[in-house]
Amino acid sequence: MQITLNKKWLALGVAAALTTTATFVVAVEDAANKPMIAPKTMADALHLVMDSDRTVYTRKIVNRLAAKEKVITASEHFDDEKALVLPAQMFRFGAEMVAKRAEKLPDVNFSYSLQSLWPVNTQNAPKTDAEKAGLKFVAENKGKNFYTTEELGGTNYFTAIYADTAVAPVCVSCHNDHKDSPRRDFKLGDVMGGVVIRIPLES
Amino acid sequence: MRTLQLSLAWLLPWTFAVPAVGLAENPAYLQLEGANLAQGRTIWLGTCEGCHGYGTAGAPIPMEKDDWKDRLKKPQSLLYQHAIEGFYGPDDTMMPARGGNTKLSDADVKAAVDYMTALAKHYQQFSAKP
Ligand code: HEC
Ligand code: HEC
Repeated sequence: MQITLNKKWLALGVAAALTTTATFVVAVEDAANKPMIAPKTMADALHLVMDSDRTVYTRKIVNRLAAKEKVITASEHFDDEKALVLPAQMFRFGAEMVAKRAEKLPDVNFSYSLQSLWPVNTQNAPKTDAEKAGLKFVAENKGKNFYTTEELGGTNYFTAIYADTAVAPVCVSCHNDHKDSPRRDFKLGDVMGGVVIRIPLES
Repeated sequence: MRTLQLSLAWLLPWTFAVPAVGLAENPAYLQLEGANLAQGRTIWLGTCEGCHGYGTAGAPIPMEKDDWKDRLKKPQSLLYQHAIEGFYGPDDTMMPARGGNTKLSDADVKAAVDYMTALAKHYQQFSAKP
C-alpha cells in the first residue's frame, strides 16, 4: 500500500493533532481541579479509609497474631516489650505523620485526631465547642455521625466527628485500669471517644 | 426569656423520666414472648446490643437477614459455646467471651443468645425496614 501525503495536509494534520492534545491536557487539568467534592463527602471518604485501615490492622494483625495465635503481644510500651503498637497508637502515629507531611503540600489542608471526653492523655480532650458538642452527640447517639461548621482564628471550618467504639476487651480493660483514665466503667460496645476531621472552607 | 423558662420547666420532668424508663422499654427492639426471652432481652440490651445492634467490630445484626441466614443453620449449642467461650470469625473478627461481661453466668449468656436468634429468625421473615 502506498501512502501519498500532500505536505499541506500533513502540516494541517500535525497542527490539528497538537491542538487536540493541548485541549485534552487542559481539559484533564480542569476536571482535576474543578471544585466538586463537598466537605462532608470528603470527610466521610477520609474517615472510611482511616476506619477501614484501622479495622484491618485490628483484625488481621492484632486479633489474629496477638489474641488468637498468641505469637506476639500488642502493648502501649511496644518499644520496651518488642510488641505490636495498639490500634489507637497506630491511628495517632498516622495522624501525626499526615500533619507533618501536609506542611509541605499547600493544597492539602485538613487535620484529624482521636479525642475523648474521658481522655487518658489530657492532650486528647476536646478543645473547641464543636468538638465538645460532637463528642457528646456521638456518645449519646450510637450509629450517628456529627457534622458542623466552626470559626477558628478567622477561618471557617467544616468539622465532622465519628464515634470510636470499644470493639475488644483490651480497649475496655486498658482504659478502665489506666492510672490516668478519668473514667473506669467502660464496657464493650461503648463509645469511648471520636475521630475529629477538620477541613477549611474557602470564603 | 419567658418562653425559655417555660420550655425548661417543661423539659425538667423528662430528664428524670428518661433514665427511669430505661432499657426494658427500649422500643427499638422487639419484646418476645416468654420469661426466658424477656430475661434474654434485658441481658442482650445490657451487654450485647452495643455491638450486635450496630455491627460494631463486625458483629452480626439480628435485624439484617444476610448477617444471620447462615448462622441460624448452626446448632444452638454451638452458638452458646461461641458466645460463652468467645469466637474468631473467618475474617478475624472477634466475638469476645460473654460479650466481655465476666459477671454473666452461662445461663445468662444462653438466654441472650436465645433472644438474639429469636430476633434473627423473626427478621428472616419480616424486613426491619418498612
Ligand atoms: C494497653 C492499653 C490500651 C488499649 C488496649 C487501648 N487503648 Fe486507647 N489509649 C491508651 C492510651 C495510653 C491512650 C493515650 C495515648 C496518647 O498518649 O495519645 C489512648 C488513647 C485513646 C483515645 C483518645 C483519648 C484518650 O483516652 O486519650 C481513644 C478514643 C481510645 N484510646 C480508644 C481506644 C479503643 C477504641 C481501643 C480498642 C480498639 C483502645 N483505645 C485500646 C491505651 C489503650
Ligand atoms: C465487642 C463486640 C461484641 C459484643 C459486646 C458481643 N458480640 Fe457477639 N459477636 C461479635 C462479633 C464480631 C461476632 C462475629 C464473629 C464472626 O465473624 O463470626 C459475634 C458473633 C456472635 C454470635 C454468633 C457466633 C457464630 O458462631 O456464628 C453469637 C451467638 C453472639 N455473638 C452472641 C453474643 C452475645 C450473647 C453477646 C452478649 C452477651 C455478644 N455476642 C456480645 C461481637 C460482639
